[in-house]
Amino acid sequence: MTVLQSLKNFVRSKSIHVAYVDVGSCNGCDIEVLACLAPRYDIEQYGIFVHNNPREADVLLVIGAYTPGWEGKLEGLWEKIPDPKVAIAIGNCPISGCLFNRPHTLVDPPVAKHIPIAAQVPGCPPRPTEILSAILSVAPTVFKDYEVRK
Amino acid sequence: MPLSIVYYAKEFFRGEWARKFLAAKTAPLVTPTYFRNYPELTGKTCTHHLFCMMACPAPGAIDVVRTPEGWMPRIHVGHCIRCGLCVEACPNGVLRSGRILESMFYDNTKLSFSFRIDVDTERCMGCGNCAVACPVNKLIDSQMSHGGRASTDDLLLKVNEGKCQVLHVEKCTGCKTCEHHCPNEAIHVARLLEAVHAPEDEL
Repeated sequence: MTVLQSLKNFVRSKSIHVAYVDVGSCNGCDIEVLACLAPRYDIEQYGIFVHNNPREADVLLVIGAYTPGWEGKLEGLWEKIPDPKVAIAIGNCPISGCLFNRPHTLVDPPVAKHIPIAAQVPGCPPRPTEILSAILSVAPTVFKDYEVRK
Repeated sequence: MPLSIVYYAKEFFRGEWARKFLAAKTAPLVTPTYFRNYPELTGKTCTHHLFCMMACPAPGAIDVVRTPEGWMPRIHVGHCIRCGLCVEACPNGVLRSGRILESMFYDNTKLSFSFRIDVDTERCMGCGNCAVACPVNKLIDSQMSHGGRASTDDLLLKVNEGKCQVLHVEKCTGCKTCEHHCPNEAIHVARLLEAVHAPEDEL
């Protein structure tokens, strides 16, 4: 049973479903995520599928510096994702707030305060290869020991 | 007909075909050498002008710390936006990123800082806090009294007839210590950053 389950987990880790959410960024990182889907980087050849539906996602890409409008909504979205799940912070904004984190602004970074973040991809914006390698390096750990009988 | 099935089966059972079918099709994408990545140290000596920190547009991305080997700029990943302004602004070429230093050399361009000090005479009370706090003044006249009065005129700032007076603005290093020590917000330092082509000191 354990062998079958670990085989299932291996196969699952080869098909990662991704949803992305922009919690208030400048759209630069969104464009870099979009570039991952384009033929040059072609994210689907690595078995990563972007559905943008949290109900069927394994990996959530969080982009942006967490504006007040997302209070409660991002947490709700995180709860909608079925286990096992991870969140990856894309860009400087979810890590530090980047240029928006100045006095008298309403942004509330880091996003790690609100939902658990498994990996961070710094950069303003990060290269598509950096996003791709972050998802690929997190993928084996998502399904590790999932539903395996001890 | 049977021959073609055998042909297809032979084709599919080749290891190379299976590997190509299962693995990623495009070659792994490498970062090009000209990519402007996070600035790295070149090993040249930092002279603590702090122009990198002044030019940096991202809050908390760079600071200059004192190490046993001397002053050293430190880049904070997660804050740095890889704009490369610190690399261009550094007068000594301490930092390196992509092809910035090479293109600056070929184009003979440079980012130069100049500073301007504005004293609002209506708000200035002549307390002399700015002149006493100024680190440039401290080097020139370490005996300066608490009121900011001094006998020499080589100073950057001096209190003259109850008002702060800027004497040698070219000596300013743009540290804004005077601005932080002014109790009345009367003194302001403007940091002017301009891109210069063919700077005269190098011709």
